[in-house]
Amino acid sequence: MQSTRVAILGVDVGGTFTDAVLLDGGRVRTAKVPTAERQEESVLAAARAVGARDVERFAHGTTTATNALLERRGGRTAYVGNAGFEHLLHLRRQTRAHLYRLCAQHPEPLVPLERCHGVRGRLGPAGELEPLGEIPDIGDVDAVAVCLLFSFRDASHERAVAGELRRRHPGVHVVASHELAPEFREYERASTVAADAYLAPVAARYLSALADAAGAAGLPEPLVMLSSGGVATLAEASAHPATILVSGPAAGVVGAGLVARRAGFADAIAFDMGGTSTDVCLLPGGRAARVAERDVGGLPIRLPSVDLHTVGAGGGSLVRVDAGGAIHVGPESAGAHPGPACYGAGGGATVTDANLLLGRLPGELPGGLVLDRDAAAAALAGVDPAAVVEVVNAEMLRALRVVSVERGHDPRDFALVAFGGAGPLHACALAEELGIATVLVPEAAGVLSALGLVAGDERRDRVVSHVRPLAEVSDLPQDGEADLRYRGQSFELTVPLQRDLAGAFHRAHADRYGYSDASREIELVAVRTADIVPGSAIDLHATASRTVSGPELVELPGATCWVPDGWSGETNDDGTLVLSR
Amino acid sequence: MNVELQVIGSSLRAVAEEMGAVLIRSAFSANIKERRDCSTALFDERGRMVVQAEHIPVHLGAMPDAVAAVMTLPGDFWILNDPYTGGTHLPDVTLVSRTALGYAVSRAHHADVGGMEPASLPAFSRELYQEGLIIPPTPLTDEVIDLFVANARNPDERRGDLRAQIAAHRLAEARIDELCARRGRERVAAAMDELYAYSERMVRAAIARLADGTRSAEDVVEAVDGELTIRATVEIDGEEIRIDFTGTSAQDAYNLNCPLAVTKSACYFVVRCLTEPDLPASGGAFAPVTVTAPEGCLVNARRPAAVVAGNTETSSRIVDVVFAAFGEYAQGQGTMNNVALGNERFTYYETIGGGQGACADGDGPSGVHVAMSNTLITPVEALELSYPLRVERWHLREGSGGEGAHRGGDGVVRELRVLEDCRLSVLAERRAHGPRGAAGGADGAAGRTLVNGEEQPAKVTTALQAGDLVRIETPGGGGFGLASPPGQ
Repeated sequence: MQSTRVAILGVDVGGTFTDAVLLDGGRVRTAKVPTAERQEESVLAAARAVGARDVERFAHGTTTATNALLERRGGRTAYVGNAGFEHLLHLRRQTRAHLYRLCAQHPEPLVPLERCHGVRGRLGPAGELEPLGEIPDIGDVDAVAVCLLFSFRDASHERAVAGELRRRHPGVHVVASHELAPEFREYERASTVAADAYLAPVAARYLSALADAAGAAGLPEPLVMLSSGGVATLAEASAHPATILVSGPAAGVVGAGLVARRAGFADAIAFDMGGTSTDVCLLPGGRAARVAERDVGGLPIRLPSVDLHTVGAGGGSLVRVDAGGAIHVGPESAGAHPGPACYGAGGGATVTDANLLLGRLPGELPGGLVLDRDAAAAALAGVDPAAVVEVVNAEMLRALRVVSVERGHDPRDFALVAFGGAGPLHACALAEELGIATVLVPEAAGVLSALGLVAGDERRDRVVSHVRPLAEVSDLPQDGEADLRYRGQSFELTVPLQRDLAGAFHRAHADRYGYSDASREIELVAVRTADIVPGSAIDLHATASRTVSGPELVELPGATCWVPDGWSGETNDDGTLVLSR
Repeated sequence: MNVELQVIGSSLRAVAEEMGAVLIRSAFSANIKERRDCSTALFDERGRMVVQAEHIPVHLGAMPDAVAAVMTLPGDFWILNDPYTGGTHLPDVTLVSRTALGYAVSRAHHADVGGMEPASLPAFSRELYQEGLIIPPTPLTDEVIDLFVANARNPDERRGDLRAQIAAHRLAEARIDELCARRGRERVAAAMDELYAYSERMVRAAIARLADGTRSAEDVVEAVDGELTIRATVEIDGEEIRIDFTGTSAQDAYNLNCPLAVTKSACYFVVRCLTEPDLPASGGAFAPVTVTAPEGCLVNARRPAAVVAGNTETSSRIVDVVFAAFGEYAQGQGTMNNVALGNERFTYYETIGGGQGACADGDGPSGVHVAMSNTLITPVEALELSYPLRVERWHLREGSGGEGAHRGGDGVVRELRVLEDCRLSVLAERRAHGPRGAAGGADGAAGRTLVNGEEQPAKVTTALQAGDLVRIETPGGGGFGLASPPGQ
């Protein structure tokens, strides 16, 4: 692969740290700075720390949208639905939040009841049933979400409503569901467009501040990592911030794909274990598997996303023993402050403390923090640290099985790419359980998301809703994916577009569910395509080469790798540690 | 607890959940795929339930009887729906299969199993025979499948749903094989024992924290012939609970009857809410609970009493009565508002959420299923693409929840216009009496069923013509505590 001459900068903002990777003439430099209150300041601080100069391309991963959603800091938003269906965001799908805690509440809807409005007029499956009526007064708001029944088939009513609202309220951000997610199932579509409208004021404010700050610092306007693993322009991300809800984790998956492909492994599983949570994702053929819908903070978001499975357990997760004697890890976390007990700041027992007592962490962290073994032992209060690691590994195994076995893939055919602060500590034990032969630990394990940013493709996703028999559909595009199901089913399987699409669907169904039925009619629900401008070719060079043989503790920048007994390996040309048994 | 066993237990739970995922994602009827009216579970060699992937609480306590019913039979794969031998009501079709270690079970509500009305939910059935095909515990063969689907109104859909259930069982068998190969059969068996014992320990400890004593409570169901009483006496004694239904009316001449398995499910549900709501489901959690009822009464009916509404409606009331015997709890909507529509071309079934009763520490949620169900609503767009029906309204029934220091949740309004001549059945409750508030909280509004604007009784089966409009207003939940006067 040819070295690039231009400098490429990737900056990923996380909850605690902001990571930067600079790719300059094939050389990779990394930096980590604490995340500040104002994210744009952290971005520039990280860019300075990594020595960014003459940057040609600048890509960014951000938690702004996610945090604004989870902390309910979005704009004052109105919702316009069909008259008689105004409360859709509050009705959800009528399930309760907890089966046995009867007054447990769902996360608060993004639009309160008093700002949910109805408009007369109705479309049905076969066209207009009632003409569009008077468009309601939406009051004083920052944003409006419009979602009308059957707009995935016929957008005329939504278009008219959105057009009129834009004329009336030029300063208000208006989004109609067909512009963002023209897919059937009204609640999921409404939830998506409501989140998009709600986030727009916050995302626009942040991204324009970032663009100004970048311009002042002589950096190009940043591209933003999408949940789907591609990057979009700043303007596109500002217009539809629901597309960047898993920006950072998606970048990590792209980074894992890059590392695996370059190490010669076509099929890989990304395993990103951080302080409070763990993300896993399958990468068949070196590219992230994608899903059409994802739950974010209890709200369905019907937009393409890398097929990331998240578990609420990581290195900082708190350990507790219940009355029945079972050990639990997470979802509560010690966070950065006070941190694990061994940080000596009064924190409770965590997975990190267990790893320390097992000799799998150095006595001192990079940056000079000396770890306190006595505090760790006192906090664990007699709980066997090996048992704690086994329990957290069981959680991780379940997640890894969900993305592999439950999706019809045998994990033994995959390499495990371990990253995040704690991923390389646990990866070999997990690989052993799953029968995985190879574990890859990138040199940049601590900042892999930022590496993924510099490697990301520019990508624009499009979806066309069909919901009709596959046999009646002609002239499908050549490249892309089709959501298919047997007529009568409700859940689709996504199959790459190809000549014998029906045959491919029957095979996919048999792989996933154990049977297929060639006599049943197949329905085409949607076709997904993407315009992709490939990212820059990237060359990595190892900063040091080493050979390891377990049991051994390997310190990496921003991460620690535990190589158990029976495992050994060496670094490849990229600096990736290739471990096997 | 031994950590290895805990880790294997976590794998067993994953198997039950994966079974449920396969069933839902590959099923054909809206009931399973959209509404998730199904459950899956693993049992040990002794026929004890060790893990369950829960979607629907009413399946909670009723699965063990299904396994008990097949254990002595020949074969390794069985089907049943007989409410008097392991089932609940006829649409709930249960499959049980042998695995390398114990049994796998799946239960799914099929949209039609024959009988006198489309969707097999008649309002006026008086004998089980009118409610559909009865399948006693029987080895599952191609011939039995043919017999079953030939007796249902949508044979093609039935066959598809059964294949989805069978796929879930094949998966469980393969996963248990893998687990035994990896961990050793003895260790997996030990993990099953521990899962059961762990739940039992946790629940016993929680019951011990409740004050000992004996209390009774009663309430009514709105039967076709008038009101019937359910009376429960709850005795908390150390770490055990006994619940007895002496004083309950004799069995209904129509279909509000429960087999004891359904009654047990409702009791277990309440105990679960009051003890360890976050505990993973396992039969051990119910070992400290004994449920008894006189034979031939509403909640322990004798064959061949009709039972179709017992599973959804009477079970909801049993929950209210048992809660009331435990203490002061505001009532939720107390019905599932079953709506069934169909003709020779289609069958459609839906249950509709309402208001939850307020709690001592919070408002009751609005527009949700309370108690024994937690099915999803079918999306309007999915419904109109599949059936000759149009949804005219679907919104909160504002103000229907009872006032109080904490408000009861609001019910909902759902209007369906039928576009073809068809039959309607509505099985509902709380049309005469609204859900009661507690500790000074106001009652929630009673529900209403209207056809073309005309109010209907709680149970109704009738013919509709194209263009007719069915409107369901679901009950609001009761409030909790005195509402503060205005200005305070």
